[in-house]
Amino acid sequence: MNATDLNRSRRIKPLRTRPSGKWRLAWRNRDYYVLLIPGLLFLLLFKYTPMYGVLIAFQNFNIFDGIRGSEWVGLAQFHKLILSEEFGQVFMNTLLISVYKIVLLFPVPIVIALVLNEVRRMFFKRTVQTIIYLPHFLSWVIISGLFVTILSTSGGLVNNIIQWFGGEPISFFVSNQYFRSLVVFTAGWKEVGWNAIIFIAAIAGIDQEQYEAAAIDGAGRIRRMLHISLPGILPTIVLMFILRLGSVLDAGTEQILTMYNPVVYETADVIGTFVYRIGLGKMDYSFSTAVGLFNSVVGFILVISGNYISRKLLNRGIW
Amino acid sequence: MNKRTKGDLLLDISVYLFLIVLALVMLLPLANVFSKSVSEEWAIISGKVGILPIGFQLDTLKEVVSSAMFLRAFGISVGVTVVGTVLSIILTALTAYPLSKRNLPGISFLMVLFIFTMLFSGGLIPSYLLMRELHLINNLWVLILPGMISVFNMLVIKSYYESLPEALEESARIDGAKTYTVLFRIILPLSMPVLATIALFYAVGYWNDYFGPMIYINDTALKTLQLYLQDVVMDASAANVTNKSVDDLMNMSPEGIRAATVVASTVPILCVYPFVQKYFIKGVLIGSVKG
Repeated sequence: MNATDLNRSRRIKPLRTRPSGKWRLAWRNRDYYVLLIPGLLFLLLFKYTPMYGVLIAFQNFNIFDGIRGSEWVGLAQFHKLILSEEFGQVFMNTLLISVYKIVLLFPVPIVIALVLNEVRRMFFKRTVQTIIYLPHFLSWVIISGLFVTILSTSGGLVNNIIQWFGGEPISFFVSNQYFRSLVVFTAGWKEVGWNAIIFIAAIAGIDQEQYEAAAIDGAGRIRRMLHISLPGILPTIVLMFILRLGSVLDAGTEQILTMYNPVVYETADVIGTFVYRIGLGKMDYSFSTAVGLFNSVVGFILVISGNYISRKLLNRGIW
Repeated sequence: MNKRTKGDLLLDISVYLFLIVLALVMLLPLANVFSKSVSEEWAIISGKVGILPIGFQLDTLKEVVSSAMFLRAFGISVGVTVVGTVLSIILTALTAYPLSKRNLPGISFLMVLFIFTMLFSGGLIPSYLLMRELHLINNLWVLILPGMISVFNMLVIKSYYESLPEALEESARIDGAKTYTVLFRIILPLSMPVLATIALFYAVGYWNDYFGPMIYINDTALKTLQLYLQDVVMDASAANVTNKSVDDLMNMSPEGIRAATVVASTVPILCVYPFVQKYFIKGVLIGSVKG
């Protein structure tokens, strides 16, 4: 619906040309703005007020004095952040886990979508889809529970198998060597099936005539998969990849919070969990907010540039 | 064209093999934990339980499900989920409507206000301090209010509204319908599939939320199911689970209790899942294809 339609629906008094037309149009459609009031109040209170609260990253915030009464310290918190060895470690952990997740997990949903497209038996296809979507709907706590059970050193399935082959049981959840692999694997277990949906949709949107034409030209199914399906979803792949890069500093806070413990802080503590531990655990509000702000700003820049690149390259973006 | 070449056969075999292995990987942890929750105690302790249960008993599950703490946490989660989902879907559906009228003066600016919150946020500590200020710590409303509108979900609904034929609205207007009548009598009823999908997403979000309760709820009496579950999973001592004396629990291992608690909290999702599945695929496609 555009302005002319809005006008057309109230044909009696046409609104145009006069400078006050805009205000009139708004007044005539005031019902729409009334509908927006609750949403805007929500936005102001729960989204924009915390943005104002970010100011405490530039203070030595004291909860009794509030933002107005606390002492301003400029960029001192950020100096502390850059010099802190712990933050360096946390930053590296975040990048490592995130990059592992992208490199190892991003291609899987694409493969799943391509492979599913080759299945002609609808019943089989639907059953597989139902099963691989399911983990997406389980909470991280439940998934931690599942994997604590299956990986337990006292009779867990995986360690039984390792022992059966003559290996030593591994305590995955308290091992700095294996914890990151565990994080990446469980993230994959939860989301690869679900993430395939968008690629499945993209394949469904490919013109069927292309397949028929290729078949007549003698292309086998493998060729059709590689030369029609894959190029057909390439724009979607690139778009999803660019967007994924935008969240590189979010390595999965909730997931890691439900899985980790002090033993593996060294390899598992990421920015999100660090902010939580320092801020709410040690009550260092200002420093923790500075870390969070750093995270938000970098994330913001990444998403904006990702979207910019995607618009340049593909003429599509999220906005 | 219908002749199958060797390559096709090979492809078929690999396709089916790949998908079967994938499905098994997804099912294995679930099968294992389910088996542990119903297996005999000796079999769990000696580590024999694999995919299938060994022996069969429902005592552990019964014990877990009848514990006062589990029931209370379960009830709180149900309450938060129901109230949260209803409020969220109403608010989101109403907010999306004006925003779908792109040529209204000022709407594009308001749109930017919404989208900006997807890209930038104050972060954990400022949000926490705000909730403190609002006296929402240890108040169950804190689990609902800050999440009432997900801008992403709102955008999905908005793009659905935009896909509805304009003629519908125009003819209603010519018949004298005002904005609210159009919205409630025409737009919303036509949007049921997408609203159902988004409602499901909200419900899953409220039900599975762990971070929110962990930060804002420290009162043991207000623990949600996920918080309670985390206690049991990470520290499966029997005392956490029931208020019975140790003697009563002699025949239950932490392992078995942990498995039973996980199963008891998963079953509700498994029950609803098959019924809502067909909706969400449709709904997701509506949202994603438009990109």
